[in-house]
Amino acid sequence: MIDHTHLNMAASSTTLVLDNGASSLKIGIEKETEPVSVPNCITRTKTERRKSFIGNQLDDIKDLSGLYYLLPFQKGYLVNWDTQRQIWDHVYQSLLKITPSDLNLIVTEPPFNFQSVRDAMIEVLFEEYGFSSLTLTLPSSLSSFHQLMEYPERPCTLVVDSGYSFTHVVPYYRGKALLESTLRIDVGGKLLTNHLKEIISYRQLNVMDETYVMNQVKEDVCFVSQDLYTDMRKARGKQDTNTISLDYVLPDFTSVKTGYILPKGGKQHGTSEEQILRIGNERFSIPEILFNPSDVGIHQMGIPEAIVHCISTTPKPMHRYLYSNILVTGGSTRFPGFRERVLTDVRKLAPDTYPVDVTQHDRPDLVPWLGGQKLAQEGREGAGGHLQSVTQSEYKEGGLAQCHKKFYDNQIILHSNYN
Amino acid sequence: MSGSKTRSSSDRRILDEGTRMRRHKRQLEALEKDNHHDDPHASFAHLLNKVKLPSFSDGTEKKRRKTRSNADHFKQRFRKTFQSLLEELATNNNNNVKGPSYLTAAAPPSKFPPRHFCAVCGFPSSYKCVSCGTRYCCTRCLGTHQDTRCLKWTV
Ligand SMILES: [Zn+2]
Ligand SMILES: [Zn+2]
Repeated sequence: MIDHTHLNMAASSTTLVLDNGASSLKIGIEKETEPVSVPNCITRTKTERRKSFIGNQLDDIKDLSGLYYLLPFQKGYLVNWDTQRQIWDHVYQSLLKITPSDLNLIVTEPPFNFQSVRDAMIEVLFEEYGFSSLTLTLPSSLSSFHQLMEYPERPCTLVVDSGYSFTHVVPYYRGKALLESTLRIDVGGKLLTNHLKEIISYRQLNVMDETYVMNQVKEDVCFVSQDLYTDMRKARGKQDTNTISLDYVLPDFTSVKTGYILPKGGKQHGTSEEQILRIGNERFSIPEILFNPSDVGIHQMGIPEAIVHCISTTPKPMHRYLYSNILVTGGSTRFPGFRERVLTDVRKLAPDTYPVDVTQHDRPDLVPWLGGQKLAQEGREGAGGHLQSVTQSEYKEGGLAQCHKKFYDNQIILHSNYN
Repeated sequence: MSGSKTRSSSDRRILDEGTRMRRHKRQLEALEKDNHHDDPHASFAHLLNKVKLPSFSDGTEKKRRKTRSNADHFKQRFRKTFQSLLEELATNNNNNVKGPSYLTAAAPPSKFPPRHFCAVCGFPSSYKCVSCGTRYCCTRCLGTHQDTRCLKWTV
């Protein structure tokens, strides 16, 4: 029954790449130029009492105020399978209209995924959806592969992945993760939005129920400061001298469909109905938490210090290569000034003898998917050995043990194995 | 005049370390919440439950259990919370399953001293509220703090 000559080859010719993030999933066939980004949630509104909106159905909601979220992930790990399966069903059947049994799947899981979560994932994808073959990997591994394809001469990559639930710093040596040196900072986009909600609600207007709106405000106004105390001084300034503070018109979803920054010096507010937030030092103090979690009382290093600490725990010969090839990825690195600040801070903290360089893609949130795409194409050409897939038939023979061996053992490197 | 002021400030309750830490923990937990408000469908579902509940007899319970689908079976096996995953991991660790894990990967504390910002206005702060330890930057912000949050978050 089983064709053993093809055991190690992917069983289908087309590969689906799914970067299954806690806030949005990025999905698409490898032939596409870009993935579709789908909110990885089910939402409910105040007005429609009997309807839930799955994934991108969120686009159909006219009044996004007081949106209620059901999320498959908790603290960055997939625990609500009911929710996840409803979203996957919708995405596969209605959005992409694909037949899983015709496809190989490359899918991501977070670093240090829990055994039972991974077991559930493999079981659901093979047995319920029936994918032809499966590759389970880290988003940062796909990103490092993307970087390796762009800069084949660089043996090491330090991937910083700052997403919705947390931020990881993962060093790579020739495409393999050094898990013993990997660090997690418990700050991500969700915490930043929640903190913004909290301080705006305290200082101006109760927006505690407005996660959707305030997330948009965060994306529209926040930036990473290059000099915190100077920006603080600027933010105190009156009217004309204040280059930081701005007015943000909140959407009311009737006359104002999306929030926007009120042009400076423009005429007074059009209608008195508009609800306006005055945003000052919040513009940079929110992303600042990524650089100093202690600003909100989280006793952990910020990103630049964690980079330096992480590298210091890797084998010495790698240090130079890691410092000179830092890749920042993930939605929470999209704040203007993020890359520059990481570069400046790491430069200050790193030994003088090492060159420091930081790379950022113009869509840092898509890099894992793009890396998966490259991996799918590379794998098909049979080069590398980076694509570790398990086929349906291998799964039926070897079960979960087979999967763990392939997905885990071949993708990481322990310090003791490095020479 | 100034005497009464001193008295009123010395009259303020001073939170002990334990209470301050609990308060801080609650603030951090709030930053992890998916929603601040309740599920708009919940009251509806709750209402349905209320209508149905009294009619449940032992017989219907049994019947319900029998017709549990595969999906329900799956739910039982994989129904986990993040907390239970952590507990599982701790058990594995006790059973000598070694190596880097979620627990070992947490970034350590910073070597740099924490910076302080006013809880009211967000600007750099040099003072700490005597009663609760919250940071403030000027008397105006202290006043706001005392009128709004100082001892009100402690319940
Ligand atoms: Zn203040
Ligand atoms: Zn106080």
